[in-house]
Amino acid sequence: MMTLYGLVLLPLLGAAVAWLTGRASPRAPWPVAVATLVLLAALLAYITWAVPAGGGPWLAHVSAPWIPALGITLRCDMDGLSLVLLWLTVVLSFPCVLLASRDIADTPGTFHALLLATIAGVDGVFIATDLFLFFFFWELMLVPLYVLITVWGHEDRTRAAFKFFLFTQGSGLLMLLSILGLVFVHQHQTGILTFDYFALATTHLSPVLAMGLMLGFFVAFAVKLPVVPLHVWLPDTHTQAPTAASVLLAGVLLKTGGYGLIRFVVLLFPDAAARFAPVALALGALGILYGAWLSLVQDDIKRLIAYSSVSHLGFVLLGVFSASPLGMTGAVVQMVAHGLSTGALFVIAGALQDRLHTRDMRRMGGLWPALPHLSSVGLVFAIASLGLPGLGNFVGEFLVLLATWRISPPIAILGAAGLVLSALYALTMVGRAFLGPPPGDGWPALPDFGVRHMAVLGAAMALLLVLGLYPQPVLDLSLPAPLPHSALPWGPRP
Amino acid sequence: MIATLMAAALPPALAEVPMPVLVLAAGILILLLAIACRRSGPGGAGSETGAGTVAAALIAAATLGLAFAGLWSPPPPQAADMARLFAADAWFAYGAGLILLSSGGILAMSWRRMAGERADEAHLLLLLGTLGAIVVAGSANAVAFFVGLEILSLSLLGLIAYRPRLPDALEAAMKYLVLAGTSSAILLFGLALAYAETGDLRFTAPLAANPAEPALATAATLLVLTGLFFKLSAAPFHLWLADVLDGAPIPVAAFIAVVSKIALFVALARYFAMTDLTGTALPAQDLAVVAVLSMVGGNLLAFGQTNLKRLLAGSSIAHIGYLLVALLSAGPFGAGSAAFYLAAYAAATLGAFAALGAVPDHPDLASWRGMFHRRPAVALALSVMLASLAGIPPAVGFFAKAYIVAAGMSAHRMVLLTALIVSSIIGLCYYLNVARVMMTPAPEAAAPAGATLPGTTVLLGALALATLLVGLFPGPLVQRTTGLFLPAAPGGETAARSHDILYAGAPPPRPRLLR
Repeated sequence: MMTLYGLVLLPLLGAAVAWLTGRASPRAPWPVAVATLVLLAALLAYITWAVPAGGGPWLAHVSAPWIPALGITLRCDMDGLSLVLLWLTVVLSFPCVLLASRDIADTPGTFHALLLATIAGVDGVFIATDLFLFFFFWELMLVPLYVLITVWGHEDRTRAAFKFFLFTQGSGLLMLLSILGLVFVHQHQTGILTFDYFALATTHLSPVLAMGLMLGFFVAFAVKLPVVPLHVWLPDTHTQAPTAASVLLAGVLLKTGGYGLIRFVVLLFPDAAARFAPVALALGALGILYGAWLSLVQDDIKRLIAYSSVSHLGFVLLGVFSASPLGMTGAVVQMVAHGLSTGALFVIAGALQDRLHTRDMRRMGGLWPALPHLSSVGLVFAIASLGLPGLGNFVGEFLVLLATWRISPPIAILGAAGLVLSALYALTMVGRAFLGPPPGDGWPALPDFGVRHMAVLGAAMALLLVLGLYPQPVLDLSLPAPLPHSALPWGPRP
Repeated sequence: MIATLMAAALPPALAEVPMPVLVLAAGILILLLAIACRRSGPGGAGSETGAGTVAAALIAAATLGLAFAGLWSPPPPQAADMARLFAADAWFAYGAGLILLSSGGILAMSWRRMAGERADEAHLLLLLGTLGAIVVAGSANAVAFFVGLEILSLSLLGLIAYRPRLPDALEAAMKYLVLAGTSSAILLFGLALAYAETGDLRFTAPLAANPAEPALATAATLLVLTGLFFKLSAAPFHLWLADVLDGAPIPVAAFIAVVSKIALFVALARYFAMTDLTGTALPAQDLAVVAVLSMVGGNLLAFGQTNLKRLLAGSSIAHIGYLLVALLSAGPFGAGSAAFYLAAYAAATLGAFAALGAVPDHPDLASWRGMFHRRPAVALALSVMLASLAGIPPAVGFFAKAYIVAAGMSAHRMVLLTALIVSSIIGLCYYLNVARVMMTPAPEAAAPAGATLPGTTVLLGALALATLLVGLFPGPLVQRTTGLFLPAAPGGETAARSHDILYAGAPPPRPRLLR
């Protein structure tokens, strides 16, 4: 199905058009970007609709030769997991463009082009099943984001962007080593040089080798997710990025790490992943507690949200390594819900910064009367993020904890303790920013959220509510397609 | 057909010489004649008209173009193994093609740059340097190699000092002269020792021929290697490069960093064509140590630079290290990845120098602030080139580096790969820093840089386009670069095969001169 390529090519085309029109008129790129996203959503809807019923776990496939001499193809496949995350990407792109990037004054054409290029790279990551193509997209999506942060970020942007690029690219090189190691072991065994995901999954690996190769992948994805000792780039980057890039980073980019862990760590190296699971679970619990703990003591509102991401994505790590379909689907639901709620929180934090010219919560307070719409939306997403039953985050965290409890009660207890802390920091944030006494002598008249913001964020809220009340469609889709020849940890798909 | 006619008309002594060498030599003679005619004509030596300079440049361009076309001429009949001067094989054709294309690029870069002064000799020296580089790349005989190397070095010396009014030109020329002389002497001593040991003048590592005195052969190999490392500016023999590039005019700096390095790397690979580089023998160890030192040292050297020419010098040293990793990775991908990387390196480095040339006389990084606002096209082109050098997709350097890592992985060169990755991360820092500086808003007072010369514009555009296109579709170039050259793999069979490819015919018995 050639339309899969469209998911990458369409945003790139839009990027080119946005850049070109931006040279003519500074007002033109924004509508171009919106139109591109609408077309992208339509394309994805078509792809979803065109999926043959009952055609097995892989929903779409396309392949074309790229570098035949090295066995590299342009192979893309889509399963339910990819589909869910592709939808998340498209949905989250709308707030980025509709709410955050309209008022960019400095070369808006380039800004929108880079934003769309990042989306193209992320789409590519979610569908590539040729390991070299995957690596290509993995590296490709960093470049535009680096430029976005360096040029349009906040006060300490260059250092933050630099850290981000260095961490992700450095760990990416480790992944390249692992990919090549796997490819050459496969070539040694079969005589065929290929980067095909499905062929490489049949490689027989000694336990030590499998562990080494798996660790290469794991480090790259752990940097992106992030897993705690490797998270140091994240708070700076999220804090310094312009709002649109923050939303994209927290909402979508981090999910590529979770996606990679599922697709390329657990499924490609099931035995090594099972042996590594205790360490991963411990790291997950550590991340949940550490992120929540640091969130509690932040004064910078974007930094607080960034650390809360570290905490929430610890649940994804727990779920992925819980070796059960329950935990895996829980992790995916958690990724989607976190994308929506944290993305929205970054929109709100960005809006606050635009209005108050500070992110420091010590200089906020009492904003509710001045900004009633913004504050109420902030409250809703804060309690969504702390895991209120009925919203998507609760479903994800609950499923993950349930799955974790079955294999390791102590870890589940630590994770649940993280939930308590998350309630603390989320409510503290609401209390410090929106309630309490205003600093000095009250707020001057501030522009509140208009119809556009309320509509987009309301849609995100509705999606979270649907995810919380009726998660079954996402649960059905989100179990990754098993590889035909390697048994999943939980046996054949039901 | 013309080539066939020419081959038929040639005296037998020249029949063996590859066509590009002949074309270049003929072109040089024509250019010399043209210059002589004009100088002796009405107006005398003082008449440096623009038309004359354009004519000289046109002759040079035509010569390079014809020489490039000459690569497709039928290979000359091969003399017996011992008497051969040139090895006109696919490896030579590829290296010579890259050299000629790069020289063409440098000619485009200097199209009007050297005007205003006497430009005729500059074109002459450029052609001479190219001739030397091609002879170096193609020589199968130590004498031919040495002659080519001296032609290359001496014309480079002339080019570096071509504009003596540049503040550091004379200093750079002196440094180059002293070090080129020293390294030539070391190299010559090595070649002499090899001759003493094996009794033939083939340009190949004497260890491959199972010499009677391995110690002497090893010493000879190490001396030749040292000489080559000097010319390649591999660490720890790299100290001259930054100063010379800094002092030389930009097209000349590009010539040193691109053409001369391609030629010497092609020759280095040919020198070790019959040697097993996978083991722990001394030359292989030496190469590995130099590779690691070059990668790490070059990137560290570039790391703190505030001068873009010196930064590119450091980057060039590091890339020699990457190429050595490919050379050391015997196996199906080693030579192919080296050839691919040579092309990627040549395009990106040439492009980076062309971008520097587009904003002349501003080699310091600080004056590039805000370049994305002042000269967006130049800034974008330089960013593409630096991305390629850093190995960031979609530039071709990304695939080239991945290819080398693949080659190293398939040859189990884990230590070298670790060094490559660590130094790549260091490299990322300074390449990104340049991009960052260009993105920061310019100071208000910064003057808009002057207009770019048309040759440079065309060259920059073409190179940027090629870098991106080949980066997106590396397939054809990969196809082109595989099977050019098979370095000896462990075991006799492959060694024999590569031997056949390089030197058709059985190796003759070695006369023993010492004994």
